[in-house]
Amino acid sequence: MTGAALAVLIVLGPLLLAGGYVLGRRTGRGRPDRTSDVGTPVEHATFETLHTASLAAPPLRAGLTEESAGKAARRLRSLLGTDALCLTDRDRVLAWDGLGEHHGKHVMDHVQTLLASGRGTAFPSGCRDLDCPLRWGVAAPLTVDHRVLGTLVAYAPRESAVLARAAGEVARWVSVQLELAELDRSRTQLIEAEIKALRAQISPHFIFNSLAAIASFVRTDPGRARELLLEFADFTRYSFRRHGDFTTLADELHSIDQYLALVRARFGDRLSVTLQVAPEVLPVAMPFLCLQPLVENAVKHGLEGKITMSHITISALDAGSEAEVVIEDDGVGMDPERLRRILRGEGGLSTGIGLLNVDERLRQVYGDDYGLVIETGVGAGMRIAVRIPKYRAGVHGT
Amino acid sequence: MSQSYTVTAVAVVVVATVLVGGFGLRISRTTSDFYVASRTVRPGLNAAAISGEYLSAASFLGIAGLLLLHGPDMLWYPVGYTAGYLVLLIFVAAPLRRSGAYTLPDFAEGRLESRPARRVVSALVVGAGWLYLVPQLQGAGLTLEILTGAPNWFGAVLVALVVVVAVAAGGMRSITFVQAFQYWLKLTALLVPAIFLLLAWQGDGRPPIDFDLTEMSSRADHPMYATYGLIVSTFLGTMGLPHVVVRFYTSPNGRAARRTTVGVLALIGGFYLLPPVYGALGRLYAPALDLGTDADAAVLLLPDLVIGGTAGDLLGALVAGGAFAAFLSTASGLTMAVAGVLTQDVLPSRGVRHFRLATLLAILVPLGGSLLVSGMPVADAVVMAFAVSASSFCPLLVLGIWWRRLTPPGAIAGLLLGGGSALVAIVITVSGAVRSGWPHALLAWPAVWSVPVGFLAMILVSLATRSRIPSGTKAAMTRFHLPEALVPGARGGPR
Amino acid sequence: MTAESAPKREVVTGEPRRVRPLPRYRAQAEIDEQTALGDAYVRSLMRGQLRAGLTAFALLATVVGTLPLAFAALEDPTVVWVVLGVAAYPLLTLLAWWYVRRVERNERDFARLVKGRPLP
Repeated sequence: MTGAALAVLIVLGPLLLAGGYVLGRRTGRGRPDRTSDVGTPVEHATFETLHTASLAAPPLRAGLTEESAGKAARRLRSLLGTDALCLTDRDRVLAWDGLGEHHGKHVMDHVQTLLASGRGTAFPSGCRDLDCPLRWGVAAPLTVDHRVLGTLVAYAPRESAVLARAAGEVARWVSVQLELAELDRSRTQLIEAEIKALRAQISPHFIFNSLAAIASFVRTDPGRARELLLEFADFTRYSFRRHGDFTTLADELHSIDQYLALVRARFGDRLSVTLQVAPEVLPVAMPFLCLQPLVENAVKHGLEGKITMSHITISALDAGSEAEVVIEDDGVGMDPERLRRILRGEGGLSTGIGLLNVDERLRQVYGDDYGLVIETGVGAGMRIAVRIPKYRAGVHGT
Repeated sequence: MSQSYTVTAVAVVVVATVLVGGFGLRISRTTSDFYVASRTVRPGLNAAAISGEYLSAASFLGIAGLLLLHGPDMLWYPVGYTAGYLVLLIFVAAPLRRSGAYTLPDFAEGRLESRPARRVVSALVVGAGWLYLVPQLQGAGLTLEILTGAPNWFGAVLVALVVVVAVAAGGMRSITFVQAFQYWLKLTALLVPAIFLLLAWQGDGRPPIDFDLTEMSSRADHPMYATYGLIVSTFLGTMGLPHVVVRFYTSPNGRAARRTTVGVLALIGGFYLLPPVYGALGRLYAPALDLGTDADAAVLLLPDLVIGGTAGDLLGALVAGGAFAAFLSTASGLTMAVAGVLTQDVLPSRGVRHFRLATLLAILVPLGGSLLVSGMPVADAVVMAFAVSASSFCPLLVLGIWWRRLTPPGAIAGLLLGGGSALVAIVITVSGAVRSGWPHALLAWPAVWSVPVGFLAMILVSLATRSRIPSGTKAAMTRFHLPEALVPGARGGPR
Repeated sequence: MTAESAPKREVVTGEPRRVRPLPRYRAQAEIDEQTALGDAYVRSLMRGQLRAGLTAFALLATVVGTLPLAFAALEDPTVVWVVLGVAAYPLLTLLAWWYVRRVERNERDFARLVKGRPLP
């Protein structure tokens, strides 16, 4: 999640509050005889509002859930000073604070148009109970990044322009808090994804097997052992590097080259690899360690249960504003249903975590149009295609 | 002249282009050459590719034709086409590469953090690209008409078809080698016949070439103004040509981009020594050609006129092949650049299939244009695309790279006022509404006034909208200008 | 594997995750943090590079700006042929080469300055 946007929001928040504070002081100063060091009534009202808002903020930073909504709704109602306040997500009521909870079952009907249009709306409550003070409601959207996540609904005894305006403003403030929540979440997800990728990549098995293979050459072919050891060091250095989430296709291919050299040290001639590269796509920036798990997958499938030769083709071609990378093996392939489960995240921890992780990260960076496209069948080998845009704002290879 | 030689030469060029495009990939079958295959493109190869893509019909045929008609003042054309790269090198090359942008819309979005700015640039890129494609297709029509007697539209349709088929059939998977190959092909196709022509001239006892300026038809009421118009548009317009910008992406880093540009200057400078030879000898041997746009054919006809026989036929076929390479390389480069912008910013969904659709769209519109509008010298038509680029993209790039106070509204205002006014002036010129006097000169060579308009609008509106300076400006400037040696993880930088 | 016995492949893609793609203007602040170079440093580098660029451009503009007038005054086509047809290209390439040398030296000096290393 973007550091820049987060920083802007963090800076803007206090600025707005400070602005409100100064404005409050100015208004207070408008009446010179009331000026005092302990604050005017307007200032006190401002402090009160700021305090209430600050209490509602922490729960909302956990995102829009039943629990956070429940905690926040109480604060928000006192902020608005209404009889009843309700928070919903897109499907149901998350929290009701104040009177007339029986209205809760109608709320979702009233906000349907809002959820579709994203614009605030007002409606008569239509309550049959004549003693019920909730005669009129106003709903405002809670949006993050132009998506409506839910609604804030406030009720009053009669139509009120002030409440309509205030509800809109509060909803906007809540939206900012939710945006911050989303920022936090995406950032954690990203870090988790990266770490998962690293773990999936550098498995202890791989390290052990590589070192064992290198050791076997130490006596017979010390020169080759030394070369392999250097490849191994380079490979791990690349995989564990900490700066930035992005790399270039050229660097990624280089790391794949080192990986394959280590694999060959173990399997020798059983594995053959063809590489086709259009050199103009080599500078393309892409998420770090996105191809290598796919190659590892191809190697695994190619060598699994096969005594004869296995062949892998890696191609990186120019397709206008995108690069198209295809990794194909002639190995055991996979049951498409099983692969679908893996890509849904239901495959368990044992296999395919590399594929899932790469798919997730590509979608996260470039959007859903850029997930993996895999062609496979049992015994039919596997062909994995990845499309990478040549430019995406914010994705820089260095 | 023998048509079969010509047809063979053109066919060979087409087939070679498609083959190199489809199979010109680096392939490795053992891990030992894996590293070689995945090594980024060296400045020398990339410079040849950029030059190959850049040397269009206007360079190959147009310059000699203009020289023949209007005399040595026309030498400003090749000088301008070359010097444009010097200006590009000075202000743009390395920072543009470091920005990571593939197209100009990418640059606008990354620098200004604004989608509207991106859209305006996209529209102008498509417009300038189409403007540049029209004369390429017309040149192809003219070439085939003169050499084989085929109808005028045939050459244009053939070039369009080859480009679409090559891209749609999954060819052009690697365009760098195609374009580098085309450069050397074009150089050979002009150099070898030029040597023979000079020998023939020597054999004739070196008759003096007539430079009498009074005989030359002046092509403008105000030739001095036209010269300055030409200088401004070519010097400042090169940096924004869509097919030039995308080729710089192939450089691994900013430093390599700079060195590549020096290579381009040397390569196209070397090439431009040749068209004047044809222009001068054409004055001597082919005065009959002094008729309007057909002067563009001088290069094609000279070998036959001067040398004749089978040797003349063979040399003529070589020139024809080179001319076709010129149409194909520039047309395919432009089409792919325009199609890239169309897929990203115009067509709804993305994907390789959409790129093919966009390719079709990218060449069909100028194909229609080339069949509708005719009768303009190729080199003049190309300069119009330069004028649009100089008045819109040049201010955007130069200010975007060197001025921290540029804002999205400022950039949009400059693009629309500068590029837009140049575009309007050109449309009026092409429509033939104004034919003489100062109004014609001002509209036909708009760069002299439209470039300052673009810069001024961009600067003044930016200053008036200070609050809209993008938040990432500082970071963008750092990225544009920081040497690779200081960027962690960069190729050639610390790891 | 022969064509008849080849098992069929199916196309599999993940389900749309509806994850929000990362905001487009993401890495900019990150680069700021990463390089941790003062703004002042970058500004001074830019000034140096711009000075080199403007020097080369001014030279080019002065020569090119006066040439058409000079040609008009001379009225000698041979001079135009020689200057524009032949001499211009090596001169342009030389100017480019000079410029590249100068800005690359600027960058080297800057890198040394920032890394605080003495001259080699």
